[in-house]
Amino acid sequence: MIGALPYATTWHMLMEVIARVAALRRRHPHAADRELPIILSSLPELPERELGGPPVSFIHGPPGRNIAFAIGLRAARPHTPLLLIMNADGITLGTNHLIHAVRRNIGMTLLLLRSEVTETTERQPLDRLRWGTPAYQQSIEPMATPLEWAKALQAAFVGRGSLLDPDGLAALIHEAIETPGFSIIGVTAGANLELGVLSRTAWPEYFTAYRQWAASFVKLASDEAQWHGDARATPPPAPTRPARFVPRYETLIAGVGGQGIKLAGTILSEAAGLDEGLWAAHRGEYGSATRGGPSRVDVVFGSEPITYPGADHPNLLVALSQAAVDRYARNVKPGAHVVADPEQVPSSRLPAGALPVPIVRLAREHVGRPIAAGVVALGCVAALSGVVSLESLRQSVMRHVPRRATAKNLAALEAGYAATRDVMRET
Amino acid sequence: MSRPSFMHGNQAAAEGAIAAGCRFYAGYPITPSSEIAEILSERLPQVGGVFVQMEDEIASMAAIIGASLGGMKAATATSGPGFSLMQENLGFAVASEIPCVVINVQRVGPSTGLPTKAAQGDVMQARWGTHGDHPIIALSPSSVQECYELAVRAFNLSEQFRTPVILLMDGVVSALREKVQVPAPEELTIINRAEPAVPPQEYKPYAFLRGGVSPLPAFGDGYRFHVTGLLHDEYGYPTEDPAVVSAWWEHMASKINDNLDKILDWDEIELEDAEAALVAYGGTARAAAHAVTLAREQGIKLGMLKVRTIWPFPEAAVRRVAARVRHIIVPELNYGQIRLEVERLSAGRAAVVGVNRADGLQITPEQILAAVRRHGEAAATHGEAAATHGEAAATQGEAAATQGEAAATAPEEAP
Repeated sequence: MIGALPYATTWHMLMEVIARVAALRRRHPHAADRELPIILSSLPELPERELGGPPVSFIHGPPGRNIAFAIGLRAARPHTPLLLIMNADGITLGTNHLIHAVRRNIGMTLLLLRSEVTETTERQPLDRLRWGTPAYQQSIEPMATPLEWAKALQAAFVGRGSLLDPDGLAALIHEAIETPGFSIIGVTAGANLELGVLSRTAWPEYFTAYRQWAASFVKLASDEAQWHGDARATPPPAPTRPARFVPRYETLIAGVGGQGIKLAGTILSEAAGLDEGLWAAHRGEYGSATRGGPSRVDVVFGSEPITYPGADHPNLLVALSQAAVDRYARNVKPGAHVVADPEQVPSSRLPAGALPVPIVRLAREHVGRPIAAGVVALGCVAALSGVVSLESLRQSVMRHVPRRATAKNLAALEAGYAATRDVMRET
Repeated sequence: MSRPSFMHGNQAAAEGAIAAGCRFYAGYPITPSSEIAEILSERLPQVGGVFVQMEDEIASMAAIIGASLGGMKAATATSGPGFSLMQENLGFAVASEIPCVVINVQRVGPSTGLPTKAAQGDVMQARWGTHGDHPIIALSPSSVQECYELAVRAFNLSEQFRTPVILLMDGVVSALREKVQVPAPEELTIINRAEPAVPPQEYKPYAFLRGGVSPLPAFGDGYRFHVTGLLHDEYGYPTEDPAVVSAWWEHMASKINDNLDKILDWDEIELEDAEAALVAYGGTARAAAHAVTLAREQGIKLGMLKVRTIWPFPEAAVRRVAARVRHIIVPELNYGQIRLEVERLSAGRAAVVGVNRADGLQITPEQILAAVRRHGEAAATHGEAAATHGEAAATQGEAAATQGEAAATAPEEAP
């Protein structure tokens, strides 16, 4: 075995090998399609200026990160070979990236320099730490074996070549480049290790497979080239209502998770914003929508753009739990409407003037599940807001509820509306 | 024709990115930004683009750099923990002048913090997160409409000035759903990369232009050059020559500083006769705008400077406001980051206080108004003293923060 060569020597020898790879590509029967490789390395500079060669496309990135750089480059450049030149430091920092690039079979060719030492840590002289004395760490560290890792991950091509045989190494690199997908080649300065192709698998290169799969989406999208918004919803008709002045109106629907309150916010805000042609905002809250936990939705609308999207002082409060009454009833605007479900809130705790509507029971009756309580609550909004009509809410419900459940939900909406009207007449 | 649509902020940012020409996304989903990844995983293949869920945010940032060099407009989205991981390669993109867009939907930190709760604690990280002095652009939307428009603008600025641009969203606007007017494609200004006008042998990929940048051809398209995070000469080769490095700095600073008129973006609201002003950005600007409305209804002469380009900071605009009003209130979902900038620019002319919280709840218009009142009364009592004595202002700032917290614990403020 020949000992590890100094970096500079390895580097110059490797440049000679890469020149032979370029020659092989130029002699290829389809040479016109064989682009010159982009080289990525954490080693700072090719000696191209010293060698008087033409500039190459070269990315000098942080050790190991070049693998992730190459993933993006591969997406943008399906046919340009990407040649990554790495050392042990690259593998150390880039193992995570290596694993995922191999796992996906993303096309790039990784040359791992000093294969004889990066693969055998026990023989690696940690000479940067202490010249001439045995390094303590190496005596306990197991070997790092990146080529074995790549084989285990079914890399498309795994090989090892020696700088002592530049033509053999060049042929190996050329073959790796021609193999679709991820390839890795250990580059050694010795001949004591097994050389040549060590492993080969055949499975689709990631971005080739991706583009084939994506073709079905492109067909889909071509139906509506300027597609915007939610693909699942039918766009509403452009409203033709005359402009009208609607003062800022804050709606707060509050209860517990599992009552369909979030969906109610979506339906109401779109009914106001799209069907009624007003400005509307629907404040979403993350992390609070667990079943049984407190849940609220703020919808604010009006004919002026909405500044603050919170319903801190609602014009209309629909309370579906005791906690909702306790927390929010005192904050309503003077003259506001308060609706409370008398079966969720004890009558002694109902705020004065609250309209009792058995919202959760109506949801069970019409849809069979309390999750429709939010839709029933929207019936209350239609009866009380004086702004968002029952018809607008019907349209919005139809856009947001699965087709098989539309009839039941429309019935729930209308039940909430009718019940609220009945209670209003009684009080 | 633009048309009305209903979206949340994350969706608007994703759609804005596509409208701007983004065709590559690499990211690792994280709340409260996850919907951006979710939507783009569906939308990008529809428009011939590529979505990759990466192993981590270090790799995400690296992959968008690679894609951008390859000629694609590219973006990633994340939140605090991921933004921290991106800093290494974000610096690479700054140094090697590679256009790309990083969307950071801020949540409460540090560390994993409050994963689903809105915050504005990464303002200074957006400015100084990656090591070394460097120019950067960051935009802060305060509505779903602005999430769309500023996403487009982020790509435009990044292409125009060959720099990463941070779309600094927050959990307030990301989860907000509201009506937006989606511009028709012909209504949008889209800036694309220029091709070099010179043959490859004369091309300088890093020409030290004052106030401008070299065109950036797609890597591999015949223009071969050297890209490195080491400081480099005009051809991209590493150098340690102080004269060359100084020239590099001049170029890097001037491409932002000489183009402030193209980069800065703010709104002045009711400032003409204002005696007090708010300086607000992002989701907090919504509560601030409402506080202005409430104040005016009560006869308080309150105005607002709403900042959209947060880095570089609109210094001249803030100086003008500071010269005109007696005090400035800065509401933020952090413990005072932009407030420090405003204090620096005010230089004692107006007293500056903050309304601050980072407990996962949002600042309400009432809290802002209460701070305005408290400070207005204090200013009236102390006369000129409050405006000229930085110490007094600082003390009142702390008082305001304390009272803000007291308000936060009151049950009516809890969602």
